[in-house]
Amino acid sequence: MITQRPMCDVAVIGAGPAGLTAASELAESGRDVVVLDEQGAPGGQIYKGVEKVVADRPQDIGLLGKEYVAGKALTRRFRQSGAQYHPGVSVWQITSDQEPELALGLLQNGSAQMLHPKHVILATGAMERPTPFKGWTLPGVMTVGAAQTLLKSSRLLPEDDVVLVGTGPLLYLYAAQLASFGIRPQAILDTRPSMSWRAARLGLSALTACPKTMLAGMKWLWNARVRVNMVRGVHSLKAQGEDHLSSVSYETRGRRHELSTSLLLTHDGVIPNTWLSMSAGIRHHFDSAQSCWVPDIHGAGSTSRDCISIIGDGARIGGAAVAALQGERVAYEVEAYLRTQHRAMVTTESRALRRQRQLRRFLDCAFPPTADFQLPADETIVCRCEEVSAGEIRQVAARGCMGPNQGKAFTRCGMGPCMGRKCALTVSQVMADARGVSVGEIGHYRIRSPIRPITVGQLADMALVSGED
Amino acid sequence: MFRLRTHSTDPVTFSFEGRRLTASRGDTIAAALLGSGVFIFRNSPVSSSPRAPFCMIGNCYECFVRVEAMGVVQACLTEITEGMKISKVSNLIDESETGIKESSKR
Repeated sequence: MITQRPMCDVAVIGAGPAGLTAASELAESGRDVVVLDEQGAPGGQIYKGVEKVVADRPQDIGLLGKEYVAGKALTRRFRQSGAQYHPGVSVWQITSDQEPELALGLLQNGSAQMLHPKHVILATGAMERPTPFKGWTLPGVMTVGAAQTLLKSSRLLPEDDVVLVGTGPLLYLYAAQLASFGIRPQAILDTRPSMSWRAARLGLSALTACPKTMLAGMKWLWNARVRVNMVRGVHSLKAQGEDHLSSVSYETRGRRHELSTSLLLTHDGVIPNTWLSMSAGIRHHFDSAQSCWVPDIHGAGSTSRDCISIIGDGARIGGAAVAALQGERVAYEVEAYLRTQHRAMVTTESRALRRQRQLRRFLDCAFPPTADFQLPADETIVCRCEEVSAGEIRQVAARGCMGPNQGKAFTRCGMGPCMGRKCALTVSQVMADARGVSVGEIGHYRIRSPIRPITVGQLADMALVSGED
Repeated sequence: MFRLRTHSTDPVTFSFEGRRLTASRGDTIAAALLGSGVFIFRNSPVSSSPRAPFCMIGNCYECFVRVEAMGVVQACLTEITEGMKISKVSNLIDESETGIKESSKR
């Protein structure tokens, strides 16, 4: 671990395209950079296991697609940059601005430790938007991202009865990857509304701005439509089974249908993982174009705390290309901060970044979150940990509960081991809807450290270690 | 759920609920179990409902398992190692219970 050097210039949290690029830039210019990664190897979720695939399963590289191969150059540059890489590290605390010193609480292999960087770059990436529906806690129901992780890191392939449900580029990409591995899902239950005129118009400008990405996406969608049984206009989803998923039922065009399956993969786009940034006391707001909470960002990655920058999907969903571009840009800001102790802001935007923005505007408009998942039916469990239903949340809202934080006291909603990661957005949306106010007004759970579980024993051992110093 | 692992160039032997299983070196515990046809990782402490990995990136905490000498860990973030003894986590089910009915289905 990092016992010999509890200090550094910059700590980067997360090793996806944003974190790796920022760390490489800063390390190459001579800064002492430490990268902390919860995963076992660099690449983040998008390039998960890319080094291992290149070394051990070169035949899979082509099958996973061009987008995945981009991770190869990124990890290679990072490995040569001189940045220190620490895999398998959870960050459970960032000290607040009330504390005299910036410090990170780390946990690796069961032992806790503090690290004292001069600056922190959060590159914590995205997580999949919650998709609550009846039966979604059954074994056999998991996210498309989860299945894709199993494919990239362990080459686990679903059985042929697999059903995909929801919407979003990742779902169609995964279906295309399955096709290249010779697997045709039983069905894709598409919850996407039909394309609006506005989306079509934005699509045209996105096609001009990022033709390669758009054409790749159209190919995935074409594969899903032509080679897989794609059902449009799906709603009122239910997963059924005793102790394991056995079937899924859904409605389309006024009729209910049922499919037997052992694996149902859900996806409804991605949202920023803001648990660290929220616990650090950084200001956030609700972004209505992306229907999720995002940190307030100025310049490339400046936040309401001068010593903390945020880049990549954790700042706002932009995708891997934007994340890498932001990694480059934020390095200037961080370098200036380290020299002057004042925050500097990069205000110019490259053409590449502006083009990506046009692409994102189209994606946000063409693949909006699924209405059914945003405001689930009363019987649906919203909080998987404490098994609290949407109906219970509506009930407490109707009795005068002011918001998600007070709701915890009535229902324990959001108080299980996931600390609200899988229900926060849904709870805010359901309560806002029930009380007739905006999601921004109703607010988000207050997030406090430790944001990862840590035992008293681990904390006590850490105190002993520092006492001996 | 997932196609069963038939062979591995670099196998690791471990056990789940007393049953001997194999996985590939470098796999996470979650991938090792799913690739061996294990569907149920734990029972929820609230209603004892069965649970399995959901997000695979360390956020949902559905994949909690108990590993001998390590305690309760997230199966999706922990690498499998030779000889690991893994069992289900449950407040309601006797921990000494061995053999799982869901694994005999396939």
